[in-house]
Amino acid sequence: MDIRVLRSSDIPHVQTANITNLPENYFCKYYLYHALSWPQLSYVAVDVSRPPKTPYDPPRIVGYVLAKMEEEPADGVPHGHITSLSVMRTHRRLGLAEKLMRQSQRAMVETFGARYVSLHVRVSNVAALRLYRDTLGFEVEKVESKYYADGEDAYSMKMDLAFLREKAPESDDDGEAQDE
Amino acid sequence: MPQILSPKDASLFRQVIKHYDAKQYKKGIKTAEQILRKNPQHGDTLAMKALILNAQGKNDEAFPLAKEALRNDMKSHVCWHVYGLLWRAEKNFEEAIKAYKFALRLEPESPQIQRDLALLQMQMRDFQGYATSRRAMLQARPQIRSNWTAMAIAHHLAGEYTEAEKVLTTYEETLKSPPSKTDVEHSEAVLYKNTIIAESGDLERALKHLESISKTNLDKTAVMEMRADYLLRLDRKSEAEKAYRELLDRNADYRPYYDGLEKALGLDKNKDKQALKELYDEYAKNNPRGDAPKRVPLDFLEGDDFRDAATQYLHYKLSKGVPSCFVNIKSLYTDDFKKNTIQDIVEGFANGKGVRETNGSVEDKSEEDANAFKSAVLYFLAQHYNYYLSRDLQKATSYIDQAIELSPKSVDFHMTKARIWKHYGNTQKASETMEQARTLDVKDRYINTKAAKYQLRNDENEAALKNMSKFTRNETVGGPLGDLIDMQCMWYLLEDGESYLRQQKFGLALKRFKTIHDIFDVWQEDQFDFHSFSLRKGEIRAYVDMLRWEDTVRSHPFYSRAALSAIKAYTLLHDHPKLVNGPLLDGVDGDDAEADNADAAERKKAQKKAKKEQQRLEAEKEAAKKQQQQQKSTAGADGETKKEDPDPQGTTLVQTKEPLKDAEKFLNHLLEFSPKIIRAQTAGFEVYIRLGKYLLALKCLIAASKLDSQDPVLHEQIIRFRKTLDSLSEPLPPQVSSVIDAELPTLLPK
Amino acid sequence: TTGAEIDENEATSNIPKSAEDRATAAAMSSLDTRGAEEESVAPSKQLDSEALGKAMKNLNVSGGAAPAKATGGAAATAPPAEKKKAVKVDQADVTLLTEQLSLAKPKATELLKAHDGDAVRAMRAFVTAA
Repeated sequence: MDIRVLRSSDIPHVQTANITNLPENYFCKYYLYHALSWPQLSYVAVDVSRPPKTPYDPPRIVGYVLAKMEEEPADGVPHGHITSLSVMRTHRRLGLAEKLMRQSQRAMVETFGARYVSLHVRVSNVAALRLYRDTLGFEVEKVESKYYADGEDAYSMKMDLAFLREKAPESDDDGEAQDE
Repeated sequence: MPQILSPKDASLFRQVIKHYDAKQYKKGIKTAEQILRKNPQHGDTLAMKALILNAQGKNDEAFPLAKEALRNDMKSHVCWHVYGLLWRAEKNFEEAIKAYKFALRLEPESPQIQRDLALLQMQMRDFQGYATSRRAMLQARPQIRSNWTAMAIAHHLAGEYTEAEKVLTTYEETLKSPPSKTDVEHSEAVLYKNTIIAESGDLERALKHLESISKTNLDKTAVMEMRADYLLRLDRKSEAEKAYRELLDRNADYRPYYDGLEKALGLDKNKDKQALKELYDEYAKNNPRGDAPKRVPLDFLEGDDFRDAATQYLHYKLSKGVPSCFVNIKSLYTDDFKKNTIQDIVEGFANGKGVRETNGSVEDKSEEDANAFKSAVLYFLAQHYNYYLSRDLQKATSYIDQAIELSPKSVDFHMTKARIWKHYGNTQKASETMEQARTLDVKDRYINTKAAKYQLRNDENEAALKNMSKFTRNETVGGPLGDLIDMQCMWYLLEDGESYLRQQKFGLALKRFKTIHDIFDVWQEDQFDFHSFSLRKGEIRAYVDMLRWEDTVRSHPFYSRAALSAIKAYTLLHDHPKLVNGPLLDGVDGDDAEADNADAAERKKAQKKAKKEQQRLEAEKEAAKKQQQQQKSTAGADGETKKEDPDPQGTTLVQTKEPLKDAEKFLNHLLEFSPKIIRAQTAGFEVYIRLGKYLLALKCLIAASKLDSQDPVLHEQIIRFRKTLDSLSEPLPPQVSSVIDAELPTLLPK
Repeated sequence: TTGAEIDENEATSNIPKSAEDRATAAAMSSLDTRGAEEESVAPSKQLDSEALGKAMKNLNVSGGAAPAKATGGAAATAPPAEKKKAVKVDQADVTLLTEQLSLAKPKATELLKAHDGDAVRAMRAFVTAA
């Protein structure tokens, strides 16, 4: 099992993992948009145990996090956003979601100076809520009514990334940056 | 002749452009028609109207209008530019480039036309042309950083590393002061330059340059990875060791980091097993949640050392009830000793033998823990005996039934039971069992997906689509299937198509394979916007990586599988034209005249039934269409209303007059991008032999022989090739014959 | 609604229903460079005008010559060995290759020239190519 940064060539498999596991789906170009705007932020979990059958075997992606920076933050604070996160059922309970998320969050801080990270989750998705709230440390900020296409509400959740900034003193030149 | 507008009409013309840019197409058309009432020959207005019509999807009207615009004003760069944009929309890139070049001759300073030409040249991988266009853009506006970056990309991709680096360095030297520390564009540009230096082969200089930028660069992971790589390749082992250890401190779940560390330490997996074990034990201790440090030693350990480590690993994983435990170790089964050892270990767990823990034996566990452990062991053994290298389906069934008895509501256990049925060859039972698993967790899309897949394997197409519809957007034009196509759900389209192929419903099968073919066209087209977008964003390494992926995007198994199936369908249609009307009850090989006479009545009956079904489906389509007109169409993300499919059954595809020509469209991509798949070469032979392209057929035989000279399909084809040549009605051209006579004997068995 | 589109809201009528769809659409629209001032021009204080002028001269000298000069230079200095041999090809052979190998005419001609106009050698090379 490898946790590594997402490349363009992974996109068909991230797309497959997404449409296999989640009702919120996207076309290839939307994944490219993430991979070419913030290539540091999205990560994949790859099952490396299979020997290749042909020279064209694709990576066996069993989990991913698709992440971005909010381009025009309403609150003016640079922050990341989790577009989608999913792990195949066959590979759950290995801590993959947490590992993917931690790698992404660190890159948000190191590369883009993110202050916090946000995401949306269906109010009925108890398992995902448990993962985000209990395991990862997100907090529910508010409920967004009829957020999803089928009319379901979403919890809008946030997580402060101060703990990562404390580990990375080199990135802490905001005063100087704002002078530019 | 340029046609001058009155100030009022000129103002209206600027409004037309504004409406077009704002995607207010109806207003744009209205305003354009206002101008044309007084100036019916105004070329630029006619061109803009054509462009708007094209944006509305009315390219049948757009093209004649654009040509009329050109007739009225051959000297207008606007008319030529629009003409090029229309060709570009038709994906005729050669014609588009010609039109852009005409426009540029009339208006050499137009940044818009320069940019459109450059984008198209990059799309076509015309690096020399791209360099020429980008040089002109750079000379026109040197203050724009991305013009320098684009110039460097042009050189880089043409293999001119020194020039590429020089361009980037030249720009850096124009900066009065260092960019801010949060400038991602600059940070990425210098990393891009570093990759160019490394790609040129000068690792010493790449490392030196990297050291000079590493403190301030914002992509820490990339800098660390590149540095470790350079140090290792430069054989600076102690520094490489330190670098890989730092990477592992950040991410202990990435095997290339461990591989790098092993090489830096000079450890050999065959000779230094003890030292390697100690290394991995160290990382396992420091990363209790990491899997790699515990799993990798199982690859290189042997004998009792392997038995001890495997026992510990398996007991730990099974105690935790990790579902993917078996998946994670099955690759060890290529080694018989390891396979048998693992079997012994886990069978031992099942029979009560367990590893003694520090706080007691397995027996001392709570009843709940013991049941969880037992359940995991049974599940593991079921998967073990289901796997092809260790298969014993009776044992697998026995173990999974015991597991289900312990946990009747387990989705995972029912999934595995369905897989066992699949390996028995009972697709009906497999489908039923997977559907049963789905009902245990109706909110989980994963199991829903698997149930639909198993239904497709059992040719239950409608039930599968109904299952999929529980998670699709069914208000989409085309319903659930339309949504699956929009979201590019490749696996479903592939399985659905292969199912229809098994049922000899060739129209529907070809429909699905054509959809896959078209999605790959879309994926290739998707890069177009990023030629300019990526220059704006400044993530150039990611952009180059994307270009390289796009160059071989069709080597993907999604494409090769669809292509192989489509070619199979087309060759069957060519050989048996009656299949156009639907399945033959006697199978395709019943070509005897006697069989034909005997089955004529039945075939007529089947054709009648197929026609009836066709009528029913068309009636359904009409009803759905009426319903659709009462609803509001779902707009695509880009604001264009989606059109309904005029041929959902693939009738026009299956009724092709030239099935082999259509097969060639798939075959060309297949042979270009997946030449090392032997079935691609044998499929090529089947098409070319039927087309009478004997040299191309021979080429496929030669290529296949290089891949696997013992392949039975290849042997049969070589014999058939020889027989076909012996029975030609007309002789081949002598030069062709001499090539075949020279090459064919090398393929024949000695 | 009856399906009639309202011109005033034409640009807004295609706005997706849900918030998630709007996020996707907004991202995709940022890819569309039409009508936008797209390129980030560096602030004037950041660039050294004198250095930039000098850089542009360097570009013309070393990064690549101007088109007219490049043409002249290439014609004058290209070594004879790099020139393609003036191989005569038989049009019947070109036709044979286009028919037998499904090649476009320029590619068939190129293949023949690479094998000194010998159709058999050209075709043999083609069918045995990796």
